[in-house]
Amino acid sequence: METILSSIISYLSTGFIQRAFIIGIIIAVLSSIVSVYTVLKRLSLIGDGLAHTAYGGIAIGLALGGIIPSLGDVDAYLVGGVLVILGSVMITKAIRSQKFSGDAAVAIFLTLGLATGVFVTSITLNYGFALDALLFGSILLVTWNQIYAAAFVLVLTMFLIVVFYKPLLYTIFDEVQARASGIVTWKFDYLLAVLAGVTVIVSIPIVGVLLISALLVLPALTSIQLTRSFKQTILLSPVFGLASVVFGMLFAIIQPHAAPGGTVVLVGLSILLIAIVTKKIRASF
Amino acid sequence: MLTKWKISERTCTVVNRGRLAISTPTKKPIVELDDVGVNYSGEVQALEHITLEITVGDFVGLIGPNGAGKSTLINVILGIVKPTTGHVRLFGEAISPKNLRKIGYVPQIPYSKNSNFPSTVYETVMMGRIPYSLRFPWFTKDDHRKVEEALERLEIRDLMNRRIGELSGGQTQRVFTAKALAGDPEMLIFDEPTSGVDTEAKREFYSILEQLNRDFGITTILSIHDLGVVTQLAKKIICINRTLYFDGLTTRFDPGAILPKAYNYPIEVIKHGDHP
Repeated sequence: METILSSIISYLSTGFIQRAFIIGIIIAVLSSIVSVYTVLKRLSLIGDGLAHTAYGGIAIGLALGGIIPSLGDVDAYLVGGVLVILGSVMITKAIRSQKFSGDAAVAIFLTLGLATGVFVTSITLNYGFALDALLFGSILLVTWNQIYAAAFVLVLTMFLIVVFYKPLLYTIFDEVQARASGIVTWKFDYLLAVLAGVTVIVSIPIVGVLLISALLVLPALTSIQLTRSFKQTILLSPVFGLASVVFGMLFAIIQPHAAPGGTVVLVGLSILLIAIVTKKIRASF
Repeated sequence: MLTKWKISERTCTVVNRGRLAISTPTKKPIVELDDVGVNYSGEVQALEHITLEITVGDFVGLIGPNGAGKSTLINVILGIVKPTTGHVRLFGEAISPKNLRKIGYVPQIPYSKNSNFPSTVYETVMMGRIPYSLRFPWFTKDDHRKVEEALERLEIRDLMNRRIGELSGGQTQRVFTAKALAGDPEMLIFDEPTSGVDTEAKREFYSILEQLNRDFGITTILSIHDLGVVTQLAKKIICINRTLYFDGLTTRFDPGAILPKAYNYPIEVIKHGDHP
């Protein structure tokens, strides 16, 4: 036990682990809050669709970086970010047109992003992509610039959610009733999708493209199991998100071969399982 | 210069030349539909040539067979569906967020899309205040007072901390009616509010609607299948099946003559006491 503790403490004193924890905490809070809205709006898979769109965008950005060396990794994420925002707007537009259901619209963009990413990486392999890092996350290689970007997105998201707290709540509760009472709901549909998109792009370094949707689903889903009010749900969701990220990363420190992205999601799933069992036990009394 | 003032039930109009005209009061129209038609995707004609007027204090029973366009008509009034032809006016003006806020809407199964939504009864009723308090992210004392009043009026104060997903059908309809009332509406619209609600809860629910219309003067549109309830509660009946078959006082409604035409098959009306 002492050996484990001392190894954790010695790791925590290193700069790259500290940076990993800082961005982990920021992204945990950010994704947990956004997850409440996406899950309750029945758009749980939007994170997955947008992450794969980001994969296509980042692959294009990296390929451009290979062709034009003056463009670095940051520009690749910028290309990914622009495409993700575009994707989130188009997914919302497709859903609102009522020509596609939510899951079908997400599936179209998921496959489009994935296919673009696979195509671009396959024809530009010579430029040496960090494909593993993109797919599974590379939290230990996080830079201060990525931390600043995530912090900025967190502050902006919190600000928008506080300012538009009421109409956003009514829109996710029942869009028809909200419209019938004069609220211009389409604006909040787009806002929510763009917030999910921005959350995805800044979260890719921590869990990667393949597991990002877990961060946009599990904290809210866990919180909903144990709460009865919306206020409790939105307050408790970041607690579960933080627990997943912090314990998941600590587990990865103890077990150096474990990828942090995987451990974070597995801890999140375990917490959800405990919440479901707790709810069942509580209901039986 | 034209001056008007109200004396008892009549309106006196004094014209500047000194003549005095006494006329019966004209009630203020709340909903005006002028030759409204709705065509979905150029294929389905949901409504055509609907011209009607609903005035202050009316209790309107909206009837018609399944697929007659009752919900479409309600959605047109609420601005959710835009008419393909014709015009709609609310409170004498074109539909706008401002005049939609004067309407409380209770849909058929309000939270069916997301019965797992984490919201207490109090929070749900408070959502009825959102359109009136968009200026600040928080709710004011006045908002809380209006919610308390609505909970009292619907006799659901004891449910305020319950999660909405745990409630029965009858309790749910009371909660959503309280939510609509929390916004101090001038008109309430109910779209088949008692589907899946047991008989006793239905009876109590209708008695609340009657009281809201009688004691508080709230104009009410009730879309419903039960003709007995309509003739008992409503002062006015609107019967549609794509187009308008009847629009008039309940006392003038002859179900034996209207319903077979509107429902397009022979209907025998059996009377229970005074009501069909």
